[in-house]
Amino acid sequence: MILFVWVLSLFGFQAEQQDTVRLQEIEVSAPVFETFGLGKKQLNWDKATLENYQSRSLRELLQEKSPLFIRQYGPGMLASPNFRGTSAGHTAIFWNGIPINSPSLGQSDLSIIPLAAPDRIDLIFGSDGALLGNEALGGSILLQSQANFQESPTASISQEVGSFGQSATAFQAGFSGKKLAFQTKVYSQKAENDYTFRDLSLPGTPVKTQTHAAFSQKGIQQDIAWRINPSQRLNTSFWYHEADREIQPPIGSETQDTQEDQNFRLSLEYLKFWDKSRLEVRSGWVRDDQLFNQSFNQTSSFFLSGDWEGDLGKDWKIRIGTRGTHIQGNLSTYSATDQRLETYQFIRFSGLKNINLSLNLRQLMVEQEWQPLLPSLGMDWILSPAFSLKASLARGLKVPTLNDRFWQPGGNPKLLPEESWQGETGLRWNKGPFHSELTFFAMDVENWNIWMPKGAIWSPENIRRVRNTGIEWTGGTEFALGSTRFKIDLAYNYTKAINQSNSEESPTFWNKQLPYTPVHQAQGGVELIRDGYSFRLSSQYIGQRATTLDHSRIMDAYSLSQLHLNYKNLWLGPVQVPISLRIENLFNKSYQVLYLRPMPGRSIHLNLKIQL
Amino acid sequence: MTKNLFKPFLISFLVASLFACSESEPERPLGKYEQGILIMNEGAFGVNDGEVFHLNTNTGELRSNVFELENGRPFAGLLQDMILEEDRLYLVANTGKVEIVDARDFKSIGSVTEDLDISRSLTLSNGKLFISDYGPYASDFSTPDSYVAVVTAADGGVVSKKIPVSRKPEDLISFGDFVFVAGSEEGKLEIIDAISETVTASIDVEGNPAKFVESNGRTYLYAPGNGEAFFHEINTSNPGILSTIKVSVENPIGKSASDEAGILYILTSTGFPDYVDGVARIDLSSQTVVQNWYKGSGFYGIGYDPLAREVYVSNSNGFQGNGTVTVLDQDGSENRTFEVGRGPSGFLFR
Repeated sequence: MILFVWVLSLFGFQAEQQDTVRLQEIEVSAPVFETFGLGKKQLNWDKATLENYQSRSLRELLQEKSPLFIRQYGPGMLASPNFRGTSAGHTAIFWNGIPINSPSLGQSDLSIIPLAAPDRIDLIFGSDGALLGNEALGGSILLQSQANFQESPTASISQEVGSFGQSATAFQAGFSGKKLAFQTKVYSQKAENDYTFRDLSLPGTPVKTQTHAAFSQKGIQQDIAWRINPSQRLNTSFWYHEADREIQPPIGSETQDTQEDQNFRLSLEYLKFWDKSRLEVRSGWVRDDQLFNQSFNQTSSFFLSGDWEGDLGKDWKIRIGTRGTHIQGNLSTYSATDQRLETYQFIRFSGLKNINLSLNLRQLMVEQEWQPLLPSLGMDWILSPAFSLKASLARGLKVPTLNDRFWQPGGNPKLLPEESWQGETGLRWNKGPFHSELTFFAMDVENWNIWMPKGAIWSPENIRRVRNTGIEWTGGTEFALGSTRFKIDLAYNYTKAINQSNSEESPTFWNKQLPYTPVHQAQGGVELIRDGYSFRLSSQYIGQRATTLDHSRIMDAYSLSQLHLNYKNLWLGPVQVPISLRIENLFNKSYQVLYLRPMPGRSIHLNLKIQL
Repeated sequence: MTKNLFKPFLISFLVASLFACSESEPERPLGKYEQGILIMNEGAFGVNDGEVFHLNTNTGELRSNVFELENGRPFAGLLQDMILEEDRLYLVANTGKVEIVDARDFKSIGSVTEDLDISRSLTLSNGKLFISDYGPYASDFSTPDSYVAVVTAADGGVVSKKIPVSRKPEDLISFGDFVFVAGSEEGKLEIIDAISETVTASIDVEGNPAKFVESNGRTYLYAPGNGEAFFHEINTSNPGILSTIKVSVENPIGKSASDEAGILYILTSTGFPDYVDGVARIDLSSQTVVQNWYKGSGFYGIGYDPLAREVYVSNSNGFQGNGTVTVLDQDGSENRTFEVGRGPSGFLFR
C-alpha cells in the first residue's frame, strides 16, 4: 500500500534558498508483511535508531536490542541468529526484498552485515513460508535501504575509535530533486581485537593477548530513486561489501585461518500505481565470493518477480505474484545450478468490526519439483482501546542448500526440505505511557538436517524432529519528568527447543533442549534524554546453554551491560557535531558465548560525527 | 621395550605380587586412577572438548572429565593419544600440545605446549620424549613437513629438535635406543636413533602403517590396505622388519586391540556412503579372519580388557554429544552399553 501525503514545507530544496516555499512529498509505503503478515510478532528499528549503530554490525544490534540468541565465535567472527530455538539456517534474510542468505551455506554471517548500510530493519518472528518464502522457519530479518524524496540534502561523516584497535568511518549523503533522489553510503570498519583472555589450555592458565582475530570491512551502497511520473517509479540500489578477517581459533588451537568475503548486491524495482492497485516488478542480483584460506567459493543468484496488489471493495486487499530464481554455484569442490519458481497469493479481509484477517499461500517449485504448499493464516483483533489480540498459524520450509546437495564428497541429493508448522498468539496492552506484549508460540520442525560423520566423510541427513515452544514478553514505558524524558524497556524470553526421539540418534539425545539454546533470556534498558543529552544503560541476560545434545557440559549464564552517552547539540557554526561515548561490557565480565571462544572485556568507544 | 599394551596390567600384577611377598615394604595407597579403565575422548573438531573419563571397575563409578576435575581447567584440545609410561600419563592433543599428568591422581606435572602442530602419538626413549606430528597443513591440506619432535625431559618442556619423517607419522614405539615410526601416508617404517636423534632407516612397507600391536609376545606394525591388512613383524634387536603377514579383510581401518591369546580385533568401515562399520577378528597364528565378528555404525575406537576378557567398542554418535561404549564378550555378544565423553576413541586398561 502506498499513501501519498503532500504537505507544505517551510524548507527549500537547496540550503541557500531557505526562504523559498517548496512543496515536498512524503511517501509512506507499508511493507507487505505489515499488510498481510497478521497475527505475528514483529519488531523494527528505524533510521534514527540505526544511526546510533552506524559503526557496528547487525550482530551487535540484535544482541543488544532483540530477544534473539546470537551464536558468535568471537568479536567480528561468524555470528548467526537463532529465532525461537531454531538454527542459523532457519532464518530468512532479505535486503530490499531480495533473499541474501548464501545459497551454498543457507545462512548469513551477521558480523559482516554492517549497519552503515540499511535504513530500516524489521524482524518477523516465527514460520511464515507463505509470506516470506524459503528459509522462514524460525524468523526473518528484512533490511531496507531507499533514497527518499522528502529529504533535504544531507551529508554526514562520522569517525569512531575504540579499544582493541577498533575504528570505524561512515560517510552518508543524500539529496533529491523532483524526479530523482540519491543516497550514498560509504563505510569502513576494523578492529585488531587484541584483547586479553585467560588461556585455559595452558598450565597456570596465563593471561594472553588475542593475536589472530583482526578484521576489517568496508563497502559502498548507492540508492537511486527515479519518479518517472506521479504513477510510476523506479528504485535501484547497489551494495558492495568486502570483509577481510583472521579467524579466531578456539582456546587450545593455534590455527591461522583467514577468510575474505566480497558481496555484490543489486536491486531494481519498478512500481506502477493506480487508484486502488499497484504493480511491482523487482529484479535482483547477488554474488558472494568467499576465500577461506586457499579455498575459493562463489555463488550468484538472479531474481525476477512481478506482484500485483489491489483493493477489492472496501474490505478485501489482494496481492498475487510470482518469482523466478536462478542460482549458480562455483564452489571449491563442485559446480551446480538451481532454478526455482514460486507463486504466491496474499489476501487480507477487513470486513469484521475490529478484526483483520489474512490468508496467504505460496507454492514453490525447485528444479521442476513441487514443494509442499505453504499456507499461513493470521488475525489481528482489537479487543478494546487498551487490548489487542493476535493469532496466526503458518508453515515454513527450507530447501536444502547447494552444499547440502552437491558438496563433494558428502552432499546428499536426496535430502528433503526441512518443514515447520507454527502457531502463535499474543496479547498487546497499551495504557497511557505503558505498553506490554505477551506472545506464546509452539512450533514443530521436521526433517531437521544434521551433517553426520560417515567415516571420514560428513554428510547431511534429515534426522531430527524438534518441538519449540516459548513465551516472549516485552514491556516498557516512556514519560517525562520536567524536561527530562525517560524510556524504560524490558523483555524476557522463555524458549524450549526439545529434540524428539528418532531412530537415528542415541536415546541420550532424546527429549533434550538443543545445544546453545538458552531457555531464559532477558534484557532491559533505561534511557534519559534532556537538553540534547542522552544517557542509556542497557543489559542482557543469557541463561545457561548446553554445548551438546546430552547436556554433559553446561555453560554459565552471563549478563552484559552497555552505557551510551550522547550529546547532539554541539554546533560548530552551521555544522552539527553529535558526539557519543559508548562503553561495552561495562562491568568487564569474563564470558564465552560458545565454549572456549573468549570474548573481550570492557571496551570504550568514542564517536564524533559531522552533520551538514 | 617401552610400549606394551599389557604393560599396565603386568606392572600392576607384579607390584601386587611384590607387596604380597614383602611385608617390610611400606604399602603405597593406590591412586584414584590406578585401577580401572581410562577412556580417551577425542572431542569435536573446532570445539576442543577432548577429555578423559575413568571407569572404576570395582565400584562401577564413571568419572567424567577427569583432567578438568583434577586440574581445575579444561583439557582444551583434541585428544589423539594417551600413553602410560611408568607413573606418567601423556595426553597427546592433535591441536598441538602434550599434557603430562601423574597417572595416579591425574595432577598435571608438565606439558609441551609450543612448537607442535598436529601431534599424533608419543614414546619415551633414553629419558626423552619423541612426539610424532603431521606438521603444518600446506595450502592444499597436504602435510609435506611432518616430523618427530624431541623433548629432552620426560616431564616435558620445549621442543629441542624436529626430525623430518615421511608424511603423516602415526604411532610410535621404542626398543632400546631406537624409536620406530609408523609412516602412514607414504607406507614406511622409519627408525630413529634416540641418541643421535636421526633417522637411521626408512623402510617401504605394504599398506598404510597405523599402529604397533602385540600378539603372542611379538610386535607388529599394523598397516591396513585395500581389501587386506598387513602385519609387519618388528625386529627389536636388530631394528628392521622380520617378516610380514598378510590377511584378507574388507575395509580395515587403523584401530585395533589385541587379547592375551594374541587375537587381534580391528575396526572396519565401508566409509561413505554406505557407512557400515564392523569389528574383524584376526588370529595371526593361523591367519584366519572373521570379517563380521561384530557389526554396526559409528564405531570410533576399540580396546580389550584383559582382566574381564571383554572387547570395548566405542561409538561417536555423530559427535552431536557424548559417545557410547558397548562391551562385548569374546563371542561378540553385547554385555552392556554406557555413555562416555565426546568422540570416544581409545582405552587404557589398568
